[in-house]
Amino acid sequence: MRRGKEGGCLMNALLNWLDHRTGYRTLMHEALNEPIPGGAKWKYVWGSTLTFVFAVQVITGFFLWSAYSPSTLTAWESVYYIQNVMSYGWLVRGIHHFAAQAMMILLGLHFMQVIIAGAYRAPREVNFWLGLVLMQIVLGLSLTGYLLPWDQKGYYATKVATNIVGVTPMIGPQLQQIAQGGTSYGHHTLTRFFALHAGVFPALLVGFLALHIFVFRRHGITVSKSDETKPVGTFWPDQVLMDAVACLGVLATILFFTVWKGAELTGPADSSEAYSAARPEWYFLFLFRFLKIEEVDKLGLAFGALYVPGAIMGVIALMPFIGHWKLGHRFNIAFTFALLAGATFLTAIALKEDAADKNYQAAVKAAEFEGHRAAELAKEFGIPPTGALSLLKEDARIQGPKLFARHCSSCHRYNGHNGLDQVRMKEVEENGHKVKVEEPATAADLGEFGSRKWITNVLTNYNSTFEPLKHAGEKGEKFLDGEMAGWVKENAETLKKSENVGSMQSLVEFLVSQGGRKEMQPFDPVLVAAGKEIFKTGKLASGSFTTNCSDCHALKPADGSESLGEGAGPGYPTLTGYASQQWLTEFVKNPAHDSFYGSERNLMPAFESKLSDKELKHLIDWMVGEYFQSK
Amino acid sequence: MEPSSSLPTEQRAPRRSFLAAAGSIVIGGLITLTPLFAGLAFFMDPLLRRRAPFKGGDAEGFLAVTNLSDLPEDGTPLRFVLRADKVDAWNEFKDQSIGTVYLRKLPGNQIVAFNDTCPHLGCKVDYQEASKTFLCPCHASAFQLDGEPMNKIPPRRLDTLESKTDPDGKVWIKYQDFQCGVEKKGAV
Repeated sequence: MRRGKEGGCLMNALLNWLDHRTGYRTLMHEALNEPIPGGAKWKYVWGSTLTFVFAVQVITGFFLWSAYSPSTLTAWESVYYIQNVMSYGWLVRGIHHFAAQAMMILLGLHFMQVIIAGAYRAPREVNFWLGLVLMQIVLGLSLTGYLLPWDQKGYYATKVATNIVGVTPMIGPQLQQIAQGGTSYGHHTLTRFFALHAGVFPALLVGFLALHIFVFRRHGITVSKSDETKPVGTFWPDQVLMDAVACLGVLATILFFTVWKGAELTGPADSSEAYSAARPEWYFLFLFRFLKIEEVDKLGLAFGALYVPGAIMGVIALMPFIGHWKLGHRFNIAFTFALLAGATFLTAIALKEDAADKNYQAAVKAAEFEGHRAAELAKEFGIPPTGALSLLKEDARIQGPKLFARHCSSCHRYNGHNGLDQVRMKEVEENGHKVKVEEPATAADLGEFGSRKWITNVLTNYNSTFEPLKHAGEKGEKFLDGEMAGWVKENAETLKKSENVGSMQSLVEFLVSQGGRKEMQPFDPVLVAAGKEIFKTGKLASGSFTTNCSDCHALKPADGSESLGEGAGPGYPTLTGYASQQWLTEFVKNPAHDSFYGSERNLMPAFESKLSDKELKHLIDWMVGEYFQSK
Repeated sequence: MEPSSSLPTEQRAPRRSFLAAAGSIVIGGLITLTPLFAGLAFFMDPLLRRRAPFKGGDAEGFLAVTNLSDLPEDGTPLRFVLRADKVDAWNEFKDQSIGTVYLRKLPGNQIVAFNDTCPHLGCKVDYQEASKTFLCPCHASAFQLDGEPMNKIPPRRLDTLESKTDPDGKVWIKYQDFQCGVEKKGAV
């Protein structure tokens, strides 16, 4: 060929030189001019999209590797740092995270296409098996990758998988310990999983993928009978274009989810904290639900988790032989669709059940919140050498509700739930059936405790504020019929009079200011002063109290002025510093103390010996809003 | 040329074929470069984002080091460790050594503070009592008491740091690291 330009000649000479040494032209020709009887088709794109997504994983995986640190004290921390602090970390991790899921879907589509086209039959059996090996490697990559962020979600999902390994007959425990790097999860679980995820599996995948493509090219593409007689097209450029467009669609979907949802990071893994939202990633949800079927469960974990999946894989591996028989191909297609239908059905049931399970939903929200909170604290305070988990362990916002749920929610509620957004349920017999019903509270709802609303309610709606006490037996009923209840009955009408709106506001403001709580500030000094007078004299804008507050309750005002009352003796709670951190701490330690309810009237257990000082502090700090709050 | 069966598409529709080829190259490039560029941008994080190596000090970033009265009157340099909360990526280590400095007291309670990192290639210089010089153990850079180089090895004098003395007689230093190996003193 004649070229007009000197440059063209030089370029040609250079390429000739290169071709002479490498033979790249033949290679390119081989690679691109693969004949496709019947021409390019959209249904042939799946293998290429899989290869593309794998390439995306290698690229993004390398960059994530450059910032990831596999140890129990740094894994979550480095992933948090990638996701929330480093530039474009959210993008790279997001692509890696959603591409992994795209790979599972594409794997399914590729498999279906192979089965439907009968591409597993002679002479392509070996390549079919190579494909199955690749599928196992991808599953291995997905399993090992899920643990690496070391968050609650990945931790508990992966624990299930390694425990399944542990029930393998004969060598189960040994296998499990080799995988985990010990008898329990730790640094070496992460180093091993990381070595597999970033080293062994990708290397195996590259090797087997090369073999897979090589053998594929040897036999050529499987086309339908009608296409065999049609004119032959070539891979380049028509099929390449279709493949590229399909890959573009896949990448666009991955990016869409990255921007829309973002890769999740729940709270740092905590072996001491039950994780009630534990579920595998969505593509394994069918297996999770399968294991929960009562009949399957009865037959043992090894049956459901090893033998059944093993048998299914066995049937799939034998498909090339089954396909020899008359109707064999139809059986294979039917088997594949039955699997798909079964998995879809089980997944749908699992999703439906979870959607209806309020406590599960609450646990998911709590896990998301913990991840969000840990990131927030890490950003504000930096992560100590003991890891991000210790930030959560020292955080009243996280520990308070848990302590409330554990120690308080058997009687109290917090805005109607147990502190963790869960509803307390109990089993009762109803017409011979055991049914779950909501457990009634036996003490006040403390969601608003110490607020203006709370004080207003106590002063005007005493019996509805403490209504749950009617379930608390004799003492509870006595409480609802006690002196304070009587006072409210006598004075509520007066307090609610329209002329007394200002008086009421003043009294509430005065009382709320005694606690001095940050979240209740600012206090109106004019109202506080007026409220103080009402507390002392009982005189309202219109009328006055039947009995003065100060006749029964001791109160040394927060402004340091003279005591307003000495109290009427044991069982008349002191209102000095009412609802403050200190008041509440003393109260929870021993509510039967003479300066609170007194041993005669008190129903609440003393928590002085039930909670450690730290636990008590976390609980109270949370209740009074004493914890770091981001703007 | 005879129509060849191995190149049917090109023969039948050269324009369509060209569009397909061009489209393949453009889209193929786009989808490969997207993850690659995202990754490269991520890898450039150290250049895209400034990070303070430590937290602490007063509003202007000065750290309290010692008392004026603890420094020798004759101007002999003494080495001090600066302590602050060290920031290393996600970690924050409380009250750590974040660097060392040499302090000298001159007549009139003037303070001279040197970053003890050699401006040549970053080893720590040592004060030699006998010769009253700073010497670098790595490549024998030598500096006078006032920080001026005594040989051609270092590209510049010892790096001085900003200092101040408060009314209580406490000496404060603004600690910084500087680019090694170049003539111009520039903070990193």
